[in-house]
Amino acid sequence: MGEQLLRIIDVWKSYENLQVLKGVSLDLAERDVKVIFGPSGSGKSTLLRCINMLNPPDKGEIYLRGNNITTPKVNLNVLRTRIGMVFQHFNLFAHLKAIDNVSIGLRRVKKFSKQEAHEKALEALNRVKLVEWADHYPAQLSGGQQQRVGIARALAMEPDVILFDEPTSALDPELIGEVLQVMLDLAKAGTTMLVVTHEMGFARAVASEMIFIDKGIIIERGTPNHFSVSPESDRVKLFLTQLDVLYGSHKKLLNDTEEEEKI
Amino acid sequence: MIFQANAFQELLAVLDYWDRLLSGFILTMWMYIWALLFGFILGLFLAILRVYGGFAFSKISSGYIEIIRGTPLLAQLFFIFFLPYTLNISPNIMVLETSFYLFNKEITLKLLDYPIFVGIFALILNSGAYQAEYIRGAIVSVGTGQLEAAQSIGMSRLSSIRHIVLPQALRRVIPAWSNEAAYLPKYTVLVYFIGGVEELFSQADFVQHKTFFPLTTYIVVALMFLITITLISKFLEFIHTRTSIPGL
Repeated sequence: MGEQLLRIIDVWKSYENLQVLKGVSLDLAERDVKVIFGPSGSGKSTLLRCINMLNPPDKGEIYLRGNNITTPKVNLNVLRTRIGMVFQHFNLFAHLKAIDNVSIGLRRVKKFSKQEAHEKALEALNRVKLVEWADHYPAQLSGGQQQRVGIARALAMEPDVILFDEPTSALDPELIGEVLQVMLDLAKAGTTMLVVTHEMGFARAVASEMIFIDKGIIIERGTPNHFSVSPESDRVKLFLTQLDVLYGSHKKLLNDTEEEEKI
Repeated sequence: MIFQANAFQELLAVLDYWDRLLSGFILTMWMYIWALLFGFILGLFLAILRVYGGFAFSKISSGYIEIIRGTPLLAQLFFIFFLPYTLNISPNIMVLETSFYLFNKEITLKLLDYPIFVGIFALILNSGAYQAEYIRGAIVSVGTGQLEAAQSIGMSRLSSIRHIVLPQALRRVIPAWSNEAAYLPKYTVLVYFIGGVEELFSQADFVQHKTFFPLTTYIVVALMFLITITLISKFLEFIHTRTSIPGL
C-alpha cells in the first residue's frame, strides 16, 4: 500500500433535525479498496457525498493527499475532478451519447481539444468494454451498460480516488456481474476505490477492509475474512444473516433445498 | 349574412380590403414574435432564478410571476401606457414606418411608435411570466441527479445548468410551451384597446364599418388566426420530434 490518500476525521452531518453521521473516521491509502456496508439510512451515501463535498460535512475534517478539503478556501470544482463518483442510479446525461457523457468533463473542465477528449473518452470506454456502444444514447443502453458508462465518465477524469455509491443495487441480477467485473478489473489495476455495496463476493475479492456503518457511526471494521468468520457485534451478525437469506446461502434455506442441490 | 345567397359577394367585399387586413395581420404578428422571443428570454431567466437562485432570488422571481399571472393583461397594458404620463415623463419612442407595393396597392405599416412599444413591452413582461412557469416545470423534471453528476466531474454549477440541464429542459418544454405560443397571438389582440395601434382588430373594425358586413369580417379574421395558430402548432410539433433524444 502507498501513502495515505484520503483521511476522514470525525465527520458529522445532519439534515435538518436528522443526525445522519455522528463522527465517522477512516483512512484510505493509495491503490487501496475499502468497502462500506450497512442498513439503508445508516449514512453510507451521505458519507460519500461529504467526501466530494456535494453535501459538505457540518463538523470534522477530510484530507486529500494531506490537504484539508473542508476549508472554505478550497475550489470545489477543481477538487471534484480529483474525486470520481459513481451513482446508484447512474445519473447519465440523457441528451448525450455514451462517448459524450465521458468526454464532456474533459472538454468543459479540463479544456481538452475535441480530438483529445474524444480519444481519452474512447480509452475510458474501452476500459469498461463499451467502445462499440459509444454512439448510443443512455436510454438505448441496458442498466449495466449505463452504469459502466458512469464508471467510464469518472475514470476519464483520472481522479485520485473513485467513490461508488451502491453501483449495482439498481440493477437486475443478470446485469450486476458485468459491472462488478469492471470494478474488479479497476481494483486490480490499482485504482483507489471507496465502495458502498452489499456485494460480499466483490468485497472478499478486493477489499482490504470492510466498514459496517449503522445509525451514523462505525459499528465494526475488519478484513472481509473477519466478517465472514467472526463478526463481533450482534447488529452485524443480524445484518449478515439477512444478507445470507437474501442471497439464498443461509443454512435454513440450504436445508430446505438440499434435495435440489443433489441433482 | 354569410349563409344567404349573397354570402359570396359579402366575402368578396370584405376581401376587397385585403391590404388593410394584411397590414393589420403583419403588425399583430410583429408584436407577437417580439413578445414570444423576448418573453422566452425573460422566462428562461426567471425560471433559472426561481429554481437555482437561492431563497431571495427565488422569492423575487415567484413574486413577479404571481403578480403578472394574477392581474389582467389589459390592466398591465394600461398601467405601462399611463405610467410615463403619471410620472410627468413624455415618452419618446422612435417611429419606424415602412411601405411596399403589392398587386398595385401601397401598403403602409407603422412598426414602432409609443403605443406599439407599450404593447410589445407589456406582452413581453406578461408572456415572460407564463413562459417562466413552463420552463421551470421542465427544469424541475430533469431532476437533480444529472446536475450532481456534472458537478461530481468538476463542472461548475453554472456550466452544469447550461450544458446538462438546459439542453434537456428546453427539449422537454416544447409541448407545454406551444400552449403559450398558441395563446399569445390571441392575447396580442388586447393591444387594440390602447388605441392608435393599427393591428388586425382595428383594421377589422375599419373594414366592417366600410362594408357593413361585421360577421363576414370577423369570420375572415378568425380564420386568419386559426390558420396561423395551426401552422405554429404543427411547426412546434415538428421541432419537438426533430429534437427528441433517441431512446427516450
